[in-house]
Amino acid sequence: MTPSAKDYELPPTGDLDPEQQMDSVVAAIRNHLHCAAEPATATRRRFFDSFDWSLYLAGAALEEVTASERHELLWQDLADNAAVLARQAVDGEPGLVTGLPPGAVRERLAPVLGVRRLLPVVTLVGKHRVLRVLNEDEKTVVRILLERVRVLADGPLGDVVLPLRLRLLGVRGYLRELGRTERWLSKRLAMAPAHAPLFLSALAAAGRRPGSYSSKLNYRLDPGKRAEAATRTILLGLLDTLEANIDGTRRNLDPEFLHDLRVATRRTRSALGQIKGVLPQAIVDDFKTGFAWLQQVTGPVRDLDVYLLDFPRLKTSLPASLRDDLEPLKDWLLAHYEAEQRTLAGALGSERFAALLRDWRAFLEAPLRDGAHGAAQDAATPIKAVADKRIRRMFKRVRQEGRAITDASPPEDLHELRKSCKKLRYLMEFFQSLYPADDIKGMIKQIKVLLDNLGGFQDLAVQAEHLRETAAAMQGEGTATLDTLLSMGALIGQMLEQQEQARRDFARIFAGFDTDENATLFDRLFGADKRQPAAACA
Amino acid sequence: MKVLGVYSIKGGVGKTSSTVNLAYLAAASGYRTLVWDLDPQGAASYLFRVRPKVKGGGMALLRGKRALDELIKGTDFELLDLLPSDFSYRNMDILLEAANKAPQRQLQRLLKSVIGDYDYVLFDCPPSISLMSESIFRTADALLVPLIPSSLSARTLEQLLAFLNKQDGFGALRVLPFFSMVDTKRALHTDTIDRLRADRPEILAARIPLAAEVERMGLRRMPLPAYAPSHAASGAYRALWDEVAGSL
Repeated sequence: MTPSAKDYELPPTGDLDPEQQMDSVVAAIRNHLHCAAEPATATRRRFFDSFDWSLYLAGAALEEVTASERHELLWQDLADNAAVLARQAVDGEPGLVTGLPPGAVRERLAPVLGVRRLLPVVTLVGKHRVLRVLNEDEKTVVRILLERVRVLADGPLGDVVLPLRLRLLGVRGYLRELGRTERWLSKRLAMAPAHAPLFLSALAAAGRRPGSYSSKLNYRLDPGKRAEAATRTILLGLLDTLEANIDGTRRNLDPEFLHDLRVATRRTRSALGQIKGVLPQAIVDDFKTGFAWLQQVTGPVRDLDVYLLDFPRLKTSLPASLRDDLEPLKDWLLAHYEAEQRTLAGALGSERFAALLRDWRAFLEAPLRDGAHGAAQDAATPIKAVADKRIRRMFKRVRQEGRAITDASPPEDLHELRKSCKKLRYLMEFFQSLYPADDIKGMIKQIKVLLDNLGGFQDLAVQAEHLRETAAAMQGEGTATLDTLLSMGALIGQMLEQQEQARRDFARIFAGFDTDENATLFDRLFGADKRQPAAACA
Repeated sequence: MKVLGVYSIKGGVGKTSSTVNLAYLAAASGYRTLVWDLDPQGAASYLFRVRPKVKGGGMALLRGKRALDELIKGTDFELLDLLPSDFSYRNMDILLEAANKAPQRQLQRLLKSVIGDYDYVLFDCPPSISLMSESIFRTADALLVPLIPSSLSARTLEQLLAFLNKQDGFGALRVLPFFSMVDTKRALHTDTIDRLRADRPEILAARIPLAAEVERMGLRRMPLPAYAPSHAASGAYRALWDEVAGSL
């Protein structure tokens, strides 16, 4: 294996400025070791990640290096002290994967980044020098990289100059030479091991915490906590997520900002509706209306996003001879996108939206007052008791609605069941920290399987109807030829066929959820219903 | 991981310089690349300034006494490693016969230990058709075959293709011939190229010129594009690499 790189820091010396310090280190090394020194290079380096830190969470760092004749991306392995695994020349600003030219970095990036946009997370300027230690054949056996770096920071303290760094890079198969070089450097230079690779040190210097954003629900609730306080904690977390995604949604950086914003909105509405008897009813009613409006104004762009993201798959699902005929549909979607995005950005910039979030935060952060006028009946009840009750009731409802569905049931019944399942899923996710992790995760997984089936059924019906309306609109505008309409018709046919398949699968999937074993587990986790034990019903 | 054998039955057609330069270009375009110098002359090892020596020789390697991983050397270029040659490779056929029941699958078996470490592996193959060649054919995704534009080269290509057609198990192997050491001032070269390309459209379009600068690699001991990036021959190797990478 190639030996892992080792990073050292050389503390500033009082009598030398950073430039002189670097020169003196280079001179000391060259005096003792047989090496070739490459000229000093001024570099601007930026590290990129997605908003949700998908690269960092996958153990990678992406560095853009701009020097006099060089503009490239480096893919680094954080588990191996930022070893470079791939590099690729680029000519523009890194953004979406689709905007990058084919190459080694793009190949690694695509599965990790998905549809998200690369955003700069930290910028460094400085100089670096490479010294190559040579053997008697003038072959490079060790590389020494010296880096003088200033981290550009927007914070009140301004830019941060990091100590001079020395990176020791071994060459595979020349371990003895590496050891000799390292021993000499350690003896001659006042250097100490660096605590982290440059990327992580620079992030810390810039005051950024990697992995700080996640849309996942991860609350740590105390079972004895007052229900109102715990509910506010949940809702504040959702509000933070919602707010974190506003800027990216307005600027349309990538479709995931809007997606996360809408999920946070939906969860907020679900929490308002389902955690009953905890917040004052008048407040609940008021904000339910406000968040319903938000869900509605964010819908059209999301619908277009879903179509556009799915377009390549939809196209390839058609017979080859029909595929090109579908292109005008993509053109139509893109043509409408800009106007819908403008409307969305307008809504998110409106006073109504600002007031909604301002008032909501003010309410959630206001001090709790025991026995205040208008307080709901369960405001002071321990949250675990409220969670048990709500989940138990929703489980009961899901089971009743599911059992009532027969082959003759209308689609509306399945739609109602889906809504109940979603409510149950959100409740379990909000309160998962109150229950044994493995058990609750298993239950959430099961409900997701059921939701996938119901979602497939419902979404395919909605998509087919939407596609039919789009075909009518395109025909009215004269933007669709007969061939395009026919290819859209073929797609609608496929969707309806898949919908029927989902309908046929329902009974089997629901039976997998509605088992004695699950009912017993529900009883154990959330307490048996006093009037009708869950297990007895199954 | 894609495996390429730079191979010709004939010697002196530019195999080693092609291997070294293409491997350098693969690494320079950002891919982790390994050159395996299988030629006992060790010319590729020499060009990378690595001593052509494998501890215990080919026998230790084939018998698993030395893991492939331990024998690989980093070159002077980032992302580019070399598995050096050894003089014992001159007896590789005997070693392969002695080592195992399936001698043609030995290279494949050995390479398994470095899958995941490299995006490309390039074999610098000795000139011959032998048991080792068969082992290379079974391991490689593609064979790059340098052709000097002459009737004799055309004949050796025919011989190779006929051999591959007769054997089982080489169906997926791509054969990518290209013209090497081309002297455009010689009518014989240009006429032969026109004729062969008309007969065999699978011959790649890139042509490596006969150039003193390519021969100078032996003095500089490094890949041509590393010390003469703007030389026409470097451009030709770049075009060849683009064509090869695009066709895999």
